[in-house]
Amino acid sequence: MLLPLLELRAARGRFVLMGTVVLLVAALVGTVSGFTTGLTDDTVSALRRLPATHVAFSPDAKTDQFARSLVDERTLRGWRGQDGLEAAPLGVSLTRGTSDRGAEVDMAAFGVEPGSFLDPGADRGAPLGTEPDGIVISQDLVDEGLRVGDTVVVDRLGIKLPVTGVTGHSAYGHVPVAYLPVDTWQRLRFSTPGAPAGPSAEVPRQYSAIALRADDGAGLTGTDRELGTRTVPLKDSYAAAPGYSGERITMTSIQAFLYVIGPLVVGSFFSVWTVQRQPELALLRALGASRRRLLGHTLLQAGVVVVAGTAAGGALAAGIGLLVGGAVPFSLPAATLLTALAAFALVGLAGTALTLRRVTRSDPMTMLGANR
Amino acid sequence: MSLELSDVTVALGSGDARTTVLDGVCARFSPGTVTALVGPSGSGKSTLLAVAGALLRPDDGQVLLDGRDLAALGDSQRARVRREHIGYMFQSGNLLSGLTAVEQLLAAASIAGRRPRRLRHRAEELLAAVGVGHRLTHRAEQLSGGERQRVALARALLLAPALLLVDEPTAAVDRSQAGTLTELIAASTHEHGCVTVVATHDPAVSEVADHRLDMAALTGAATGARRADQP
Repeated sequence: MLLPLLELRAARGRFVLMGTVVLLVAALVGTVSGFTTGLTDDTVSALRRLPATHVAFSPDAKTDQFARSLVDERTLRGWRGQDGLEAAPLGVSLTRGTSDRGAEVDMAAFGVEPGSFLDPGADRGAPLGTEPDGIVISQDLVDEGLRVGDTVVVDRLGIKLPVTGVTGHSAYGHVPVAYLPVDTWQRLRFSTPGAPAGPSAEVPRQYSAIALRADDGAGLTGTDRELGTRTVPLKDSYAAAPGYSGERITMTSIQAFLYVIGPLVVGSFFSVWTVQRQPELALLRALGASRRRLLGHTLLQAGVVVVAGTAAGGALAAGIGLLVGGAVPFSLPAATLLTALAAFALVGLAGTALTLRRVTRSDPMTMLGANR
Repeated sequence: MSLELSDVTVALGSGDARTTVLDGVCARFSPGTVTALVGPSGSGKSTLLAVAGALLRPDDGQVLLDGRDLAALGDSQRARVRREHIGYMFQSGNLLSGLTAVEQLLAAASIAGRRPRRLRHRAEELLAAVGVGHRLTHRAEQLSGGERQRVALARALLLAPALLLVDEPTAAVDRSQAGTLTELIAASTHEHGCVTVVATHDPAVSEVADHRLDMAALTGAATGARRADQP
């Protein structure tokens, strides 16, 4: 233990410099992880919290299914007639409105049947169905200025939506969610601006999709064929959210590059460090240090630099998260941060492996007759 | 502990440049004696030290340290012999950069599996004995060539090795320092009963040695003789 620590102290300038580089890359890894989680959360948290196992779309909707897909009541009845599952209609659309107190808000309108398994209930106030056209808003809309007792008037359509309750965080496509009765959603979705949009307005009895809660997914394909739908597991339906796939690919690519850059940087440093101290390694070998011991020294030094740098980088990333707060979609739970940093530290140490061969090849014979 | 070389042959280089440096060398070195290896540059002194010190495996022959053939040992076993039984003082490049004089000795103790803290006092005593007691906390880069040599000698003596191998100990020091070093080597050899082999060009070192071994006689390069046995 003594020798590698003495070497670390002796070359502390170089190791601090390297540790700083590791710190910055690790901070970037943590920050990108925070944005990845935050953006994902901001895009599909409403879908994640759906207590469903599968979602059935109309087969003609290939992309952006929640916006393009339409299924009718006959199809809903068909699904409800199946054994071993529950089915509930789901309407999804984006809209905007203004509260009677002047708060202008964008909303992702999630139409659900009050009392169905999709009904989110209410953490505060009253749930859906307690008031005609009453809506339950996510906490994000409270943050934007709405509160229970407000009435939101949907732009252009003039539909009035009294806020009866508040539920937890829920967003779809970076827009906070408001839950509303599915028949209200149908008026909102299918009404034409300027035309009557009151409770008695004639609108198609259609939905964006049918949420399913199935014991197992084995029999769903046959029902799909029978009813003309295309059913996917709930997780696969995330790709139907606007921007989800593009964001995932972008952020994952950045993370992948960082996971490549990390070991290359660490490996390059230790490669140069090993070349520079070949005379010392030869002397240590001549004094009786085994190859295994020299490997252990190098790994210990790399471990100190990588772990300390990564830990400091993680702290910096967490600090950045606290600073940006709710201003941007940034979410960095401890488990996510630790997983990302552990992976980074591991690949960083793997980078050291690039230098190990040179460490073991140091020749003690160079000490005799060698003139350094 | 005794050292015996039996029909040791070493060739270095490759292809057309391959040269036989030691050819069937036999020599025996007794405990408690200093043997001076003398001969011109390129006569094989350092190579003999390398073979005796388990740094280099001979192409043929045996290197018996207390009856154990070092030439037959594997790499890790030879490393173990080096750290447990052999003390080296090389001609140059002896010290680890960035470490202080006393740390040079403690690092060697650590390699040998000894607790450095327990040997700190002994290390400081030895450094004082070789005349660098006032430079304990100076790093290798802050020491003169002669001081570095003396620190290296203190390090070689720290663990009272059974075999002490010294390569040109007086090459970088003045006459008075050379005298101090050679006397210290001889005194330590006689006190601890170790086998000491010193490769040197310096007649003063040869005079202090108990035995003088001419490489020309060992390798037969000058006289045709191939064997030289020490009593």
